[in-house]
Amino acid sequence: MKGKWVLFVTITSVFSCLLWMFGMGWALFDYFNCSAKSVAEAPAETVETDRNGIHIVALGDSLTRGTGDASGKGYVGYLMEDLEKRSDQKMQITNLGIKGQTSVQLAEQVKQQEVQRQIKLADTILITIGGNDLFRGGQTLAELDLQKVEGLKEEYSKNVDGILSSIRSQNTEANVFLIGLYNPFIDMEDANTTSQIVRDWNERSADISAKYPKAVFVPTFDLFQLKVEDYLYTDNFHPNSEGYQLIAERVAALLTW
Amino acid sequence: MSDVTLSVKGLRKVIGKREIIKTIDFELKKGEVFGFLGPNGAGKTTTIRMLVGLIAPTSGSIKICGYDVSKDFTKAMQNIGCIVENPELYPYLSGWENLQHFARMLPKMDEERITEVVNLVGLQERIHDRVKTYSLGMRQRLGIAQALLGKPQVLILDEPTNGLDPSGIREMRQFIRFLAEKEGMSVLVSSHLLSEIQLMCDRVAIIAKGKVIHTESVSALLSQQERLIWRLVPHQTGVNMLKELTDFVKEEGESVITFYDDSKVGEWNKKLIEAGVTVKEMNRKLPSLEDLFIEMTGGEAID
Amino acid sequence: MINLVQNEMIKLVRKKRLLVVTIIMAVLISMFTYAQFRESERVQERLGTTDWRTTLQQQIIDIQNRLSGSQISDEWRKQLEIRVSQQQYYLDHDINPAEPGAPTFVRGFIENSIQLLLPLMIMIVAADLVSSEHSTGTVKILLTRPVQRWKILLSKYLTLVLSVSFLLLMFGILSYVISGIVFGFKGWNAPVLTGFTVEAGELNTAGTHLIPQWQYILMEFGLAWFVSLVVGTLSFMLSVLIRSTAAGMGVMLACLISGTILSSMVSSWESAKYLFMINLRMSDYLQGMAPPIEGMSLGFSLSVLAIWAAAALVISFVSFTKKDVY
Repeated sequence: MKGKWVLFVTITSVFSCLLWMFGMGWALFDYFNCSAKSVAEAPAETVETDRNGIHIVALGDSLTRGTGDASGKGYVGYLMEDLEKRSDQKMQITNLGIKGQTSVQLAEQVKQQEVQRQIKLADTILITIGGNDLFRGGQTLAELDLQKVEGLKEEYSKNVDGILSSIRSQNTEANVFLIGLYNPFIDMEDANTTSQIVRDWNERSADISAKYPKAVFVPTFDLFQLKVEDYLYTDNFHPNSEGYQLIAERVAALLTW
Repeated sequence: MSDVTLSVKGLRKVIGKREIIKTIDFELKKGEVFGFLGPNGAGKTTTIRMLVGLIAPTSGSIKICGYDVSKDFTKAMQNIGCIVENPELYPYLSGWENLQHFARMLPKMDEERITEVVNLVGLQERIHDRVKTYSLGMRQRLGIAQALLGKPQVLILDEPTNGLDPSGIREMRQFIRFLAEKEGMSVLVSSHLLSEIQLMCDRVAIIAKGKVIHTESVSALLSQQERLIWRLVPHQTGVNMLKELTDFVKEEGESVITFYDDSKVGEWNKKLIEAGVTVKEMNRKLPSLEDLFIEMTGGEAID
Repeated sequence: MINLVQNEMIKLVRKKRLLVVTIIMAVLISMFTYAQFRESERVQERLGTTDWRTTLQQQIIDIQNRLSGSQISDEWRKQLEIRVSQQQYYLDHDINPAEPGAPTFVRGFIENSIQLLLPLMIMIVAADLVSSEHSTGTVKILLTRPVQRWKILLSKYLTLVLSVSFLLLMFGILSYVISGIVFGFKGWNAPVLTGFTVEAGELNTAGTHLIPQWQYILMEFGLAWFVSLVVGTLSFMLSVLIRSTAAGMGVMLACLISGTILSSMVSSWESAKYLFMINLRMSDYLQGMAPPIEGMSLGFSLSVLAIWAAAALVISFVSFTKKDVY
């Protein structure tokens, strides 16, 4: 009995030894001969996904991500909580926001295959963009070169237009909410100038979204206008939890499907 | 020549700068039990380790049945069986499996031989139990069984009676004599106990500080050193008379000790009686090897 | 020779070393399976979907967000960038990098344990192969048999090779069976991408090709076998050189653990790539991960490990045949 067990272990070991040697050989062969083969581009097979429930796709920058919110939810998270209370339907949220994203990068992102698929599935699309284009980490504020700002705005307009048209080409049905900018520097000197810049910027955003059906520009400027320090995170740029909640409430009021 | 089974010539071992073994020479003959006697630390175990190839000697040659250990290791080892220090075997295997294990390392070995050695050492009943359940005596016997597996010409046992009880010691002694006399093996037994060597060995090499200081047959050694103990009345007259008759006279309390000389003892006795000395006791005495050892090493104590 | 190997196998099996290691593996695998299960549940809950594309997209976005953080080290950034491009490649080609099922678990598990866990298991067996003979004193009988010393050591080494193979097989079977109970047993034919290479910190997809998962797993196990064998050989050498099993294990343990720590911080210490413990993550080359130090490749790691193992073997044999046994 004991002898048989030893024999069994030995024989198993010998065979597995051969197997592993073969595996290693194969790995080396495969690794060093890999240039011969190549992957054919995968056919864009139609992906069937469960269409029940409500799909929300959030695109954009750190505001979509929720930077500055202690709980990390951001306005998207608070909005979801609110919606779940209001509706029995299953919610599915895809948050594709990337910190520091500018309109150029977002225009690139919406061209990605998987992002397009998500957009196609969406019932509602939320976008926060432009903050990084305009403020460039506070640099714009330091320079206050109106000529330059004008250039940035033109660039931004072109990108947003591209983003929205790309979304519309994928999905004609979904409501698109483009969330406007607030002025985080309203408490500082030159507040009048900066506020003017932000208002102009928002106006441009509203104009562009007006070109597309079912695209809604959501202003936030007024939310932060009076008590900005109460609603900003310690970096004096991103909203804090209360700030995000304000944005979420405003968007929630507009949502329908 | 053919009856010399083990020959050791000019064996030396230097470790670092210390010369552990200075010069060791001896020979083992077929069918004899050879004692290797010395205090702890004299170099017995080191020498034995060199004999079986565990330690490489610095110089000198060891031949087992004509095969040099350092050159013809395999052939030399086929003719030797040994237990070095304690009989250490695999505790998680049974006695039988231990024997099988070592049998597989020998050329041409079968189950029959294993059964044979098991019977020889009398372990039949417990052979399939795990070694960790064995008593020291049983381990000792299993160790010997293991050493005997390959039918060696030379058997080396390092302190074979260490830790055994008196009956075990007697058994072991008889067994060793049996191996030498009936199986014709040469057995090398090391010990620091002189009485043991005295009881089972034919010849003895006395080793101290890495040197063989004396090699002789046990009986010759003993007879040379035999003493006669007298008790005489009146004491002083007797002592004076004996002093005239022989050189060596030692007084010890009421007794007098002289050499034992077979041809002259009768005459001395007669002369004492004629002179009116009463011989109350005449006692032949074999001195213990202990005494000899002290004598040879110039009064140096054992250990 | 066969007799000697048989002896060694008997001792190994009867000492229950293999059994102990197998049990340790089973326990650990169960734990990892459970952890993995919880993790996949959590992800599902968070995203509200079981669609892997959404999950993967989310992972990419998560990494991109980490990349935009400022307190990230350059090496780590590079690693992450490569991972993102790789995941993007999977997504663009519509291939699920983690098809749910036991085979995927096995694949991920071997990748994660090739550097530390597996070598540790091997070490438990290898470290006392020779030194245990010293500690029980049986070496004295073993070496006074009419068998040359190098043959005895060779038989022990062959036993090591066999037990490494056996343990790796057990590792595979156990992780497949245990994780299969939770994740299901299917997925052997799921496609896996291999052949990514990292050149100057950029992911190169020129040589990328698809292979079935079973082949990928076999290849990974082949490399894991080699790695285990090298670690086994080194422990074996320590077992010959150091009489005490515990001390040998300690030395090996220190090496292995320092390897895991070092490989995350040595990119500026270039000559560290010649240390064996930095080169253990061989499966990363199949995966196309950035090596810890610039200039390392499968061929490089293979040669470094082979040289270490060969040196260890030579030292073991020379020492074992020449050394006096007290």
